[in-house]
Amino acid sequence: MLTFPRTLVAELRKTATLPGSLAALAVASVGPLGISLLNSMGVRNALRSGQPDLVAYTSAADAVFSAAPLGTVGAVVLGVIAVSSEYTANTPDAGGGRQITATLTATPSRLAVVAAKATVVALLVLATAAVTIPVCLGAANLVLGGLGTPADVGDTVARGVGAAVYWTLTALMVLAITVLTRNGIGPLIAGIVNSSLVSVSVLLSHVTPLAYYLPDLAGMRLFADDSIATFDGALDPIPGGLVMATWALGLLAISSVVFTRRDA
Amino acid sequence: MLSISGLSKRHGSRTVLSDVTFHALPGRVTGFLGPNGAGKSSTLRILLGLDRATAGTALIDGRPYRELPDPLRTVGSMLDGSGAHRSRTARNHLAWVARAGGLPKRRVTEVLDQVGLAGSGRTRVGRFSLGMGQRLGLAAALLGNPAALVLDEPVNGLDPEGIRWIRGLLRAHADAGGTVLLSSHLMSEVAEIADDLVVIAGGRIAAAGPLDQVIAGHATLEEAFFALTADRSEQRC
Repeated sequence: MLTFPRTLVAELRKTATLPGSLAALAVASVGPLGISLLNSMGVRNALRSGQPDLVAYTSAADAVFSAAPLGTVGAVVLGVIAVSSEYTANTPDAGGGRQITATLTATPSRLAVVAAKATVVALLVLATAAVTIPVCLGAANLVLGGLGTPADVGDTVARGVGAAVYWTLTALMVLAITVLTRNGIGPLIAGIVNSSLVSVSVLLSHVTPLAYYLPDLAGMRLFADDSIATFDGALDPIPGGLVMATWALGLLAISSVVFTRRDA
Repeated sequence: MLSISGLSKRHGSRTVLSDVTFHALPGRVTGFLGPNGAGKSSTLRILLGLDRATAGTALIDGRPYRELPDPLRTVGSMLDGSGAHRSRTARNHLAWVARAGGLPKRRVTEVLDQVGLAGSGRTRVGRFSLGMGQRLGLAAALLGNPAALVLDEPVNGLDPEGIRWIRGLLRAHADAGGTVLLSSHLMSEVAEIADDLVVIAGGRIAAAGPLDQVIAGHATLEEAFFALTADRSEQRC
């Protein structure tokens, strides 16, 4: 483990310089900003025209946090490609090799590789969130001027941290799943569809309240309140976040064991 | 010294390697010769800690690859071309490998020069020809100035000038006391370059020893090769 720092720096460099990673981080930052702006313009127009019942919420914070799923999409893309890029085969013309060979000959400790990748993805997602969410809040407040319903500062900060945690844990879960599948297509489609279009867990929650313990729904209240989505049985932020973190750690543990035992 | 001893590998019911034993010695170029699918890559992957053996050991100076404290300074390797992601530049690929191996950054420029890719460091690997990919793979193998080189089909895709160049490079490495183990299915290439020969067919070692001893009694390496591997092929059919 003495060599872990260099593995970490190598993985940081490797992930941060992959063009796909930059695209993922762009989605996670520009996406929420764009939707936050659209949302807050909608709220501003409704309030100006004296029809606040046209919109589900009237605060800048809600306009921003209802755009958070796009940040999740970016986090999913990053978590997937950090691993799937290792398994992308070169063309047969170029020898058909995969980067995982270079990775594991340079760092034979599989556990170090998974730990470094998870740390790097978490750091990049958290850093993106730390810039994106305050910028979104500032932009939404600018658009709304003094029109919006003021939100409690402590509450907004907590939801901002919650959104960052939600993005990070989602990225770690898809990273772990991609280690198992060794191919990014499945985790990418499942992750994006589930976090942006139709959540399987939300559908299941109509059938059984146990669905609120599923990975994506458990942490929903980290950033979403009732004005964004009504979930009567949803877990509170802290217990929900802990359930989500347990899922992420569990999946990382399983993928580490499989990765360590499997032929590369 | 690279020591392969009693190595076996099964995928389910299919036996890929059975009881493979041989050595690659310092100061010698060892050619690992066999038809496609004979078990060359499987053996090298186990030696490099990528795959696990069902039985037996593959050691580098007495230790398994996964236990080497500084693997890139001990063994340089190349499997399936460069191993670089298509969207990276050659320089970027070598830079993260150097980081992971705890090697100084200047080595990146040095090995790019050494393999003749100095002018292509900023080109994306996806635009490389097979020969350039092989040179980049070799650059990565040389990054840590290792005593041993393990190369899978290194002459694939190289033009005649490239083949001549790699022959000189490997010869010089062995003459300086290094260990070179290279696999190939090209007999003429192996005959040109190897001091010692290990012939594998059907997952079993058919012959091993100094080149002239293995060829003894046959006119050429090619004849020796087909005579040595004929039994195996018949057994498999």
